[in-house]
Amino acid sequence: MDALLLAANLIFQPHVLLVIVAASAFGMFVGAMPGLTATMATALLVPITFFMDPVPALGAIVAATTMAIFAGDIPAAMLRIPGTPASAAYTDESYAMSKKGELDLNMGVNLVFSVMGGLIGVAILILAAPALAEAAINFSSFEYFWLALLGLTCAVFMSSEQPLKGITSLLFGLAINTIGIDPTAGFPRFTFGSVELLQGISFIPAMIGMFALSELLRGAVTVDHQGAVVAQKIGNIFVGIWAVFKRYWFNFLRGSTIGVAIGALPGAGADIAAWISFAVSKRFSKTPEKFGTGHVEGIVDATSANNSALGAAWIPALVFGIPGDSITAIVIGVLYMKGMNPGPTVFLQNPQFIYAVFLIFILANLLMLPLGWAAIKASKQILRVPRNVLLPIILMFCVVGAYAMTNSPYGIIIMLVLGMIGWLMEEHGFPIAPAILGLVLGEMLEQNFMTSMIKADGSLMGFFERPIAATLGVVTVLIWGAMVWRSFKPKSGIIPGLDSPGT
Amino acid sequence: MRANDAICGIVLILLAAVMIALAATLPEFPGQKYGPALFPRVLASGLILCGGLLVWRGITTRETGSRWVEWSPWTRDRWRLGSFALMLAMLLLYILAAETIGFILLGVFFLLGLFLWFRVRPLPAVIIAIVATLTIHWFFATMLRVPLPRGWLNTVL
Amino acid sequence: MTKLTRRSFVASTAAAGAGLGLGLKPSFGQGAYPSRPIQMICPWGAGGGTDATARIVAALLEKDLGQPINVVNRTGGSGVVGHSAIATAQPDGYTLGIITVEIAMMHWQGLTALTPKDYTPLALMNEDPPGIQVKADSPYKTVKDLADAIKAAPAGKFKASGTGQGGIWHLALVGWLQAMKLPANHVAWVPSNGAAPAMQDLAAGGIDFTTCSVPEARAMIEAGKARSVALMAPERAAAFKDIPTLKEAMGIDFTTGAWRGFVGPKGLPPEMATKLTAALKKIYDSKEYKDFMGSRGFGTVWADAAGFAAFASKSDAQMGTAMKAAGLAKG
Repeated sequence: MDALLLAANLIFQPHVLLVIVAASAFGMFVGAMPGLTATMATALLVPITFFMDPVPALGAIVAATTMAIFAGDIPAAMLRIPGTPASAAYTDESYAMSKKGELDLNMGVNLVFSVMGGLIGVAILILAAPALAEAAINFSSFEYFWLALLGLTCAVFMSSEQPLKGITSLLFGLAINTIGIDPTAGFPRFTFGSVELLQGISFIPAMIGMFALSELLRGAVTVDHQGAVVAQKIGNIFVGIWAVFKRYWFNFLRGSTIGVAIGALPGAGADIAAWISFAVSKRFSKTPEKFGTGHVEGIVDATSANNSALGAAWIPALVFGIPGDSITAIVIGVLYMKGMNPGPTVFLQNPQFIYAVFLIFILANLLMLPLGWAAIKASKQILRVPRNVLLPIILMFCVVGAYAMTNSPYGIIIMLVLGMIGWLMEEHGFPIAPAILGLVLGEMLEQNFMTSMIKADGSLMGFFERPIAATLGVVTVLIWGAMVWRSFKPKSGIIPGLDSPGT
Repeated sequence: MRANDAICGIVLILLAAVMIALAATLPEFPGQKYGPALFPRVLASGLILCGGLLVWRGITTRETGSRWVEWSPWTRDRWRLGSFALMLAMLLLYILAAETIGFILLGVFFLLGLFLWFRVRPLPAVIIAIVATLTIHWFFATMLRVPLPRGWLNTVL
Repeated sequence: MTKLTRRSFVASTAAAGAGLGLGLKPSFGQGAYPSRPIQMICPWGAGGGTDATARIVAALLEKDLGQPINVVNRTGGSGVVGHSAIATAQPDGYTLGIITVEIAMMHWQGLTALTPKDYTPLALMNEDPPGIQVKADSPYKTVKDLADAIKAAPAGKFKASGTGQGGIWHLALVGWLQAMKLPANHVAWVPSNGAAPAMQDLAAGGIDFTTCSVPEARAMIEAGKARSVALMAPERAAAFKDIPTLKEAMGIDFTTGAWRGFVGPKGLPPEMATKLTAALKKIYDSKEYKDFMGSRGFGTVWADAAGFAAFASKSDAQMGTAMKAAGLAKG
């Protein structure tokens, strides 16, 4: 209790609170900008935190990242540009809601469930950090391989109207992900001697291209029509949230739990959590046919999951100094810098700092309600801008965002090329989301597959020798087997349309 | 624009064949039967399988007399076709010239060109182009320290 | 934050002036160097040790030179991308970079044509030796136990990790094996995406030992999940006094290390280079730098421009020999 009081005392200082509010506003901006991620917000804060005390330094990072993950939902819903990769999984669903005129409800759901998901993440971080970290640390490359493969099944769940095209899109995403230096032997693949291609297809410019540029290209040829996203009157975003909660409280709990579980695993963060929880939501939904038409259910799962993963990612970082995601990779550096060396001892030596981090997490999530509301209110003004003015400006934002990721024109080239491909894919009824998922999970899949092969001396049995790996492996094989079997069984009704023409 | 599934399938098969051919040049791990080429090969085989199914589906479900490639109505409107091409051309111009000319000058031109083509009135177009470019520059380059190219304004910034 | 906003304001006013076409006069050489913000290219990702070193030095350099220093991460391609970006930048003093030991290795693998000679050296500021880490409950109490077990086992039975194939920690393993008169592939190398995943794999029981640096293994060691049994350095590290060197423990005199230094593109004007080296020396001697590096457990070494050039070419030759022996070098 003493440590808790001490922690509260450290936080409730005017200058600390000021830093938290300023960092929150900063995180909100960064998250809403295409191409600028929560990770980048953290990296930008690092030089500033050099000169701060431990508590405001960590507070700034916690507050900025919490806001950024939510803020990524705003442009995703309004413009079909996911502000951060964590919003990519449900960008299309959110955008479809906006087109139906349910932008207010969508924003309200995103905000409220992000806050609640975030709070669940913190709660588990507080209650179960050491135990969860102990479990997560037992994952070796075999377990990660199965996990990645399991993650890929999401692509099929998400595109069940067109499973063949969904799988094709997934394979395409995985295939372009092999460009660059291969993750195991360090050998350049498909680079044609280009230094730029050695870095591979950067995921964020690719995402901006496939989602946003393809949408802008469609917009450009209908710029004089009444817009796709019609200017909606500004209503109260909190109307209807309670009804959504009553109906989907289980989705919220499930999404948050998946978020925590994935966030706590080293190397898998908020973006993967959002994908998996969205796919799970669709798989177990009573009305899976509504997904893709602007249905709120999956968004509840996924937006809770990405914010809960954020807190959970601190679990392995604090307990073992192993980053739970790219944000905590930077945080670990800051912890060392401030003399709070991660490890079980940090809970004994500096408990007041750890409690302070927890309190800031809670504070930041609560602060998100008013700040998020203001950000939504402000962003809505964008939709009043005439389309012929808005479209070029968004294009410029995409250019700068893609550039910011690689700090070179290469990012814009990726955006342009993949934007064209994404546009062509959508024209032909190929879903884009599986390709993005392939880009997200491709390296994790290949790296863990190859290193497992080396460790098992090329024997596939090695993939089933460890207990967790065996369980995951059997589950994965069963799921894939069931899907293949069903798709060849005529008219099973579960995954229809393998043999129907595209729409 | 929409091509028959069979055409998509053929394109995918060709792409996958190129991938396999290029992967053949990759070395294996010392002393192992697999290496960097394994994963691309598996993926390419999967793409060929999917491509084959698409071809089969495209041919069997094709209604007699339907075209192999359908063009969307907007492609027959010159102005719309121009809008589409101009977006891509502006991106290409930016990629090629940004390092030389710099973000601010090229950004204003980029926005102004598109505004005028999309029939924004000239005076607002000029004002918005300048204000938007400077705002974006301030936010990304100054606040967030993204090294936007300086180009011709290198020495004055 | 206040500092940031003030600078933003000044810069945005300047930008506004420029945008209106004012002040387009060629003003190069006006005032002393540096007269505008400097870019510091880091070839590795945000959050890693190289990035952290670049950012602390940039922050201190910024105070000293009075101009913003932006750390720009140009990542990917196992470091090729960032190293190329530094080498091909204008040598006008406004693009600097941090280079790492990989520049002495990549050209042997045929990944790039760049060598340490393609830069203007400014200062060497850090070197970390590899350690040998085993799982906490491993039966090998000392490095000698481990070495004996490795010698007795068939080739490929033992698996080690720490970085990618042909990375610095892989070469450390090869060097150690060769010093024991064993073939380079007697222990199978499991490539990993850096030291952190390798340490996690060690704790999860996926591999037998790691050869990454001790600071990288530190959290796991302090968490009681791993032990460091030896250090491949001439002497014990100040931050980790109880880890014996290979020479003490086994009588094997093999040392190597990952280093980081600051450079400009080749052809940087000498007066700028001198000024930067002097500023870096001041930083190296500062309490902030020492505290920061000490807190992360990073080793500090100093070499000025000439010393750094000599050090880099020696490192280059050593890596070449090791990589040829390991069959990692091309041609």
